[in-house]
Amino acid sequence: MKKTTKSSPHKAPCGTGAGKSVPGSPSTETDPKYPPVVSYTLKNGLKLLILEKNFVPTVSFTMLFKVGNVDGQQGKTGLAHLFEHMAFKGTQTINSADYSREKVALDAVEEAAKELIAEESSETPDLKRAQGLRNKLAEAEKEADKLIVKDEYLKLYTALGENGLNAMTSTDYTGYVVSLPSNRLMAWMAIESDRFKNPVLREFYRERSVVMEERRMGEADPGRLMWETLISNAFTAHPYRNPTIGWMDDITRLTRTDAEEFYRTFYVPNNATLSVVGDVNSSEVIKLAEKYFGDWKYRELPARTYTKEPPQRAEKLVNLFFKAQPAVRMGFKNPGMNHPDIYPLIMASEVLTNGKTGRFYRNLVEGRQLALYAAAGASTPGNRYPSLFVIVSAPNAPHTVEELDAAIMAEVKKLETEPPSQWELDKILNNYQAEMIKQLESNSGLGMSLAQNEQLMGDWRYDWKAGEELKKVKPGDISRAAAKYLTRDNRTVVFLKAPAGKKKDGLKNQSPQEHR
Amino acid sequence: MSLPSAAPAFALPPSLPELAAVDFKPPKGERVVLDNGMVVYLMRDNTLPVVHMTAYIRTGKLNDPLEKIGLGELTAGLLKDGGTLKYRPDEIDKTLEFLAASVDTHIGIEEARADLTSLKKDLDTVLDIYAEVLMRPAFSPDKVNLRRTETLEMIRRRNDNPGRAAVREALRSFYGPAHPYGWRSEEATVKAVTIEDMRAYHANYYRPNNIILAVAGDFASYEEMIAKLKAKFGAWPRGKVKFPVIPPVQIRDKRQVFHMEKDIAQAYIVILQKGLKRHDPLEYPLTVTNEILGGGLSSRLASEIRSRQGLAYTVYSYSAKKPDLGYSLAYCGTNPATTARALTEMLRQYALLTREACPAEEVARARDSIVNSFVFRFPTPFELITEQASFEYYGYTADYLDNYVENIARTDSKSVLETSQNLFKPEDAMIFVIGNSKKFDKPLSGFGPVTELKED
Repeated sequence: MKKTTKSSPHKAPCGTGAGKSVPGSPSTETDPKYPPVVSYTLKNGLKLLILEKNFVPTVSFTMLFKVGNVDGQQGKTGLAHLFEHMAFKGTQTINSADYSREKVALDAVEEAAKELIAEESSETPDLKRAQGLRNKLAEAEKEADKLIVKDEYLKLYTALGENGLNAMTSTDYTGYVVSLPSNRLMAWMAIESDRFKNPVLREFYRERSVVMEERRMGEADPGRLMWETLISNAFTAHPYRNPTIGWMDDITRLTRTDAEEFYRTFYVPNNATLSVVGDVNSSEVIKLAEKYFGDWKYRELPARTYTKEPPQRAEKLVNLFFKAQPAVRMGFKNPGMNHPDIYPLIMASEVLTNGKTGRFYRNLVEGRQLALYAAAGASTPGNRYPSLFVIVSAPNAPHTVEELDAAIMAEVKKLETEPPSQWELDKILNNYQAEMIKQLESNSGLGMSLAQNEQLMGDWRYDWKAGEELKKVKPGDISRAAAKYLTRDNRTVVFLKAPAGKKKDGLKNQSPQEHR
Repeated sequence: MSLPSAAPAFALPPSLPELAAVDFKPPKGERVVLDNGMVVYLMRDNTLPVVHMTAYIRTGKLNDPLEKIGLGELTAGLLKDGGTLKYRPDEIDKTLEFLAASVDTHIGIEEARADLTSLKKDLDTVLDIYAEVLMRPAFSPDKVNLRRTETLEMIRRRNDNPGRAAVREALRSFYGPAHPYGWRSEEATVKAVTIEDMRAYHANYYRPNNIILAVAGDFASYEEMIAKLKAKFGAWPRGKVKFPVIPPVQIRDKRQVFHMEKDIAQAYIVILQKGLKRHDPLEYPLTVTNEILGGGLSSRLASEIRSRQGLAYTVYSYSAKKPDLGYSLAYCGTNPATTARALTEMLRQYALLTREACPAEEVARARDSIVNSFVFRFPTPFELITEQASFEYYGYTADYLDNYVENIARTDSKSVLETSQNLFKPEDAMIFVIGNSKKFDKPLSGFGPVTELKED
């Protein structure tokens, strides 16, 4: 079983504060229920979590910020993700031959880009002028290129022997990860403190093109297209509706100025957790973090109140026409991770999904052989705000998405009429506990999990505490939660279907293999 | 081993500390051979109450009969799912899932595997299932039908992800659809497989003398674990394993362009060229060369096509070794309107490697990257012991791992150039593109004679 918070985040439901470190004094977890994590908070608010593990001389770093696409403004969707790309482009000293001269060149690029965007966005764009402005931008970029040390940031890490240098943006958070041989601890501190204190967003408009390609890649992939369609249809008002990569039209208008503003607002030490897991000495980590990150300036964060999603009153059925084999995605509004009903909903998702003895597999995949796969999850796309209980599935030919949907809804209904047995619940809890042990095997996975839980759920112990809450869930609680949330008027369904119109398509649902 | 090089060969920003070498000697586990020929690698690790195992069974999809492609995959998948003489399928699922344990059996092109994960306290129960699954599978008919239904549905869906389809179909065109390095299972070949075929396949390949088992985790002593394994597997008789003859690879060293029309948001480009046989000592300079060409975000392909020109999110290259000739592959997903531009740049980067020696600094960085990240091949005791088992499985000499770093470190600009000239002939490389040709910036015919293929 997946832990409850693997892909996303939010606020601790199980009480925070206990065992929190106060600035300046490290505290080591001694309760044997938990791994012996050392917590420490810098005066500027940056939180540190350190776990020493010594099998191999490596260390995994996760710097996680509580900022994601949900924090972007309407009209500027995708900004959180584009900034994340830009955070690989260096600083005033890395990737730059001479920053004072480069800055002038970069400002010329920015001016040219803004002119071009204004022209392209006008109601009646002058195509000739736009082309001229495009050339001007290209010229300005060429000038700026002369002062760039290409890819120096990346080359540094290549030579250091990085493993898994990457970053990820979700609707809730942005995380920066890398693993290194453990004797690179100080190098990491020096490079990354510079990266987050003094980033220079050079080559911005080229990287924006890279992101557009990333978006196109998603548009060619039916899986991603279904998620985007589900989420943007399910949410009416809350910004979870916007895809993390951004709408293409917004991306074409994002500027470096926007990204710098976004950085100034959200990339502050009091909005971040750094986890360090591996062959390190915790007091050495703390000493170096103080040295390199201590002068990073604290700044107040804006309030994060966004339009609350109004209650859903209508079942939303969406037919997505795309040339691929049929599939189903559905989402029911959940009450959010800090509502007590989330625990029975998590258990409900596991009753349906957990293994070959789970109800979906037993009845839909194996019993009736309607589905190639069927799975549920309690909270997508995020955990900071109320989100979706989702079900994903695809039919085996010749079954249709409608047949499959009816069978899925019948299984969901059965959560009420046939409450889970004690065996089903015990199995789920056993798996959860085993997962808690196995997650300690991987430095990078554990580091990400600790940082997410601390920064978004308010406590790195969240997964363990959630496990305690799940133990309290009774079969009747699951039936009641299913009756309350997993209803037709609370759901959005996306059916992926082949485009209609061509002659052969009438046959498609009966025997797609003839149409391959 | 101690890693000889590590200090980056180019100037670091002045604020950075000096870097030392990465000193790591992977601990050696135990290797024992049971009387029936089963090779066992063991590493004790008491940090967490968990035990992992994986068995390498010497076979792979490449051993399927041409008219029954899919036999190996169906057999491997059904070892557990189809139940055993001792355990019904639902007993296996219930027991394992309740204990949060897993037994997984699967197959790749050149290897079949069987994995076990168990909490220490449940090991005896789980190991008994694992051993039964390997030795005495029952292939229950309803489970066979279910697996076949699933396999056929996966075949129907194989083109849903165009990027993955591009790589698969490119290799199919490169090696030919009848060669095991290129083939794929089809509806007819999957339907042709019978339960008797699976029984025979299992009886031939799943023999102790054809298996290398790697074990790591929380057990008391090597003696104790070996005794457990002997109790489970000791009576399993040896068998004489028959392997089919794989026809030699035939590669047409002449430019061919394949195009598959599809109206999608990106075009997917794959370039293929002849690669190396496994154990060819050229693998070291080739590994460094690929690191330079397409190994990461600062490689030449990514730097030019992604970072400088903004033409792609995904662009990379790699080389694959095979028993017979492997391949070198470059991949790019781009806007259909920049297909020819991206393709031209990819070919130019190959050509550049064959024409000009790489700067020493660039070669040094690529070497450092491989040498300094070597330690990440063994993040856990289980992965370390699995890696050791896999080297024996793939026929590497016992000191391969010990000498790997030194062999990489010997690579220089000259050997990169020679390797490139030896292996890369971009003017003859095969090109494969999936995409909407109406939107291409230039027709593909500018790159060579085009064969139009239909998606199927």
